[in-house]
Amino acid sequence: MQKWRPVLAVAALSVALGTLTACGNDTGTGDTAAAAASGPWSFTDGSGQVVKADKKPTRIIAHAGEAAALLSFGIKPVGVYADEPVKTDPNLKNLDLAGIEILGEEWGKIDVEKAAALRPDLIVGDWWPAEKAHSGMEEGVDEKSKKLADLAPVVGVAQGKSIVALAEGYEDLAESLGADVNSPQIAANKKRFEQAVETFKAATASKPGLTVAAMSPSTEKVYVANPEYAPELLDLQTWGLKVINPASPDPAFPYWENLSWENADTYQPDLILFDGRSFTPTANAEWGTKQPTWFKIKAAKAGAAVSWPAFWLHTYADFATELDKLTQAVKAADPNVGN
Amino acid sequence: MSATSQIGTRTSTGGVRRASALGPGLAVLFVALALVGFLSVTLGSRAIGVSEVLHALVNFDSDGPISSTVTLEMRVPRTLLGILVGAALGVAGAILQGVTRNPLADAGILGINSGAAAFVVFAITVLGVRGIGVYVWFAFAGAIAALALVYAVASLGREGATPVKLALAGAAVTAGLVSVTSGIVMTNVDALNELRFWQVGSLAGRYTPILTGVAPFLLLGLAASLGFGRAINGLALGEDVARGLGQNVVRTRAAAFAVVAVLAGAATAACGPIVFVGLVVPHLARFICGPDYRWILPYSMLLAPIVLLLADVLGRVVAAPDELQVGVVLGLMGAPAFIAIVRYGRLSEV
Repeated sequence: MQKWRPVLAVAALSVALGTLTACGNDTGTGDTAAAAASGPWSFTDGSGQVVKADKKPTRIIAHAGEAAALLSFGIKPVGVYADEPVKTDPNLKNLDLAGIEILGEEWGKIDVEKAAALRPDLIVGDWWPAEKAHSGMEEGVDEKSKKLADLAPVVGVAQGKSIVALAEGYEDLAESLGADVNSPQIAANKKRFEQAVETFKAATASKPGLTVAAMSPSTEKVYVANPEYAPELLDLQTWGLKVINPASPDPAFPYWENLSWENADTYQPDLILFDGRSFTPTANAEWGTKQPTWFKIKAAKAGAAVSWPAFWLHTYADFATELDKLTQAVKAADPNVGN
Repeated sequence: MSATSQIGTRTSTGGVRRASALGPGLAVLFVALALVGFLSVTLGSRAIGVSEVLHALVNFDSDGPISSTVTLEMRVPRTLLGILVGAALGVAGAILQGVTRNPLADAGILGINSGAAAFVVFAITVLGVRGIGVYVWFAFAGAIAALALVYAVASLGREGATPVKLALAGAAVTAGLVSVTSGIVMTNVDALNELRFWQVGSLAGRYTPILTGVAPFLLLGLAASLGFGRAINGLALGEDVARGLGQNVVRTRAAAFAVVAVLAGAATAACGPIVFVGLVVPHLARFICGPDYRWILPYSMLLAPIVLLLADVLGRVVAAPDELQVGVVLGLMGAPAFIAIVRYGRLSEV
C-alpha cells in the first residue's frame, strides 16, 4: 500500500484534496460549546455564503483536519470523518478522539446514517475553490456521502492562498462557536509557529539559489504540484523558498501538472518536496529502481528529497512542526544539484 | 458426403486462389509492422530526434543521456511488449471466434479478464502484495484458472464443450468472479485503487522485467497457434462436418483453448485487459482473407500489433507531456471501427 500510495494519491488526488475537507459527521456530544449555545449565530463560509442559525451550533460533525483545528481551540465535535484510518491520518493520529464518533476512514465514504443519529446542527469541511465543493462532498465521492450535507448546514474555510489564513479562519469559527481563543496553549502554539517561520525565512535567505519542486511519482506518471492550488506551497514561496510553478497544469484538475515518465526530468529542482502521503525514507531510492527516469532528476539521484505536508495542514502547531523539518532540509540542501 | 467434399473443395480452392495475393500481403503487413514499431520507438510524449534514437540504438548506452534511457529502457521494451501482446490478443481472438463459431468471442467473454482481476484482488487483499511485477503472475494464473473452469463446466454432458455451452459457461463464470471481485473492492479501498490502475489496459510503466517475464509464454503460444489453421477450418464448418472430415473435435478444441489460455492470459497479465483488439482484428483479417483460418491467423497476428501500437503511439503523442492509456485510445477508436465492420456485413461469416 505504501509503495503504491502515490498512484493512489494521484488517482485519488481529487480524493486526497477532498480529504482535507470536512464533511459533516456527527461527532461527539458537543459539550464544549453547549454553555454558549444561545442567540443567533452566523459564519461566512469559504464559498462566500453566509450561513445562519437561530442558536449557536453545538453538535458538530467535522472532517479530519478541520476537526483537529476545532479541537485545538477546545471545540469538541460529536463526529469526524477522515480520508484514511484515524490512526494514520496526519491530523488526527496524535489526538484523543474518545467520545467522538468516527463516521468514515476512507476518502469519499461517510456513514451518513450514523451521522444522522448524532443529530448534528453543523457540518464543518474545508471549501475547495478549484472543485467548488466542501471536503467530503467533492466530485467522485460516494453519492450517499453527499447526503451528509442534508443533515445540517455545511461551513468551512477556503483552501485558498495560505495555511495561515486557513488556521485563522478556523480560529474565527471556533470563537463564533464559543471557544476561548486566548488560552496560553494557543498563544504558545502561535509563538512557536512564528519562530518556525523566522528560522525558515533565515534558511531560505541563506540559500538564494535553491529551487524546489513538489512532486508525487506514481506507477504511470509523475505529478508536479501547482503551488497556486496548494496553500502551504504558496506560504513557502512567500517565505522565500523558490517552489517551481509547473508550466502547464492539468486544466481539469489544476492541482498538478501530469508528466509521463518519459518527461520525468522536465523540472530540475535542487530539492524535491516529496508528497508526504506516500513519502517514506526509502521511497526516493525505490522509485529510482522502479522507473528508469526518476534518477534523471538530479535531485532524486542525489537523494535530495524531503516530505511535503501535502494538502493537510490546518493548525499553527502542525505547520510549525512541519516547517522545522523543511528548514532542516533547506539548510542541508545543495543549491547546485539541479541547476 | 457430397456436401462435405464440396465444402472442402470450396475452402481449399479459395485458399489456393487467394494465396497468390495473400502471401505478398503478409509481407506487406510485416513491413508495416516494422514501420509502426519504428514509429513507436521514435515517437512519444517526449520529443526525441531520430538521430538521438539511432545514437541510442547503436551505442546502447542506457546510462547516457536521458534520450538514450527513454529509448532503450522505456520505448524499446514497450514496443516489443506491444508487438507480442497485440499479436497474442489478435490470434487468441481469431482462434476463439473460429473454435466457438461465435463472432463476438474474445478472451473477455470466456472469463479471462475477470479471472485475472479476481486473482489480482486476491493478491492485494489476502496476500498484501503490491506492484505490477507481482500482479503479472497472479493475473496469469487467474486467467488460466478462469478459462480452465469455463472449459470444464462447458465440457459437462454428453456432447462436450459446444460453442453455446462455452459462451454460457463463460458468462456464468464471469458473473460469479465479477461479483466476488466487486464485493471485495467495495469494502477495501486499497484494492479498489490498485485494481483501477490495473484495469485500464496500458503499455506504460511496463519495462524489461515484465517483457522478459511474459515473452517466452507469448512466443511459444504464437508459434503453436499457427498450426491450428486447418483444424479450425474444419471446426468452423460445424462439429458434425469436422468429425466427418476425420477430426478429433474434443482434442482440437482442448488444444486450441490451451493455446488461447497461454496467449490471452500472458497478454492480460502484462498489460491489463485490453479491449477490442482481440474482437475486431480477426474480423478485419477475415474481411481481407476470406474464411480460411490458415490465412486469418497470421493476418491477425500481424494486424493486431499494428493496431495496438498505432493506438499506443497516438495516446502518447496527442496528450504530451502527459499520456493516454492505450486501453482508453482503443476504446475510443475501436467502437467506430467495429460499427464499420458490422455495416460491411461480414460479421456473421465466421
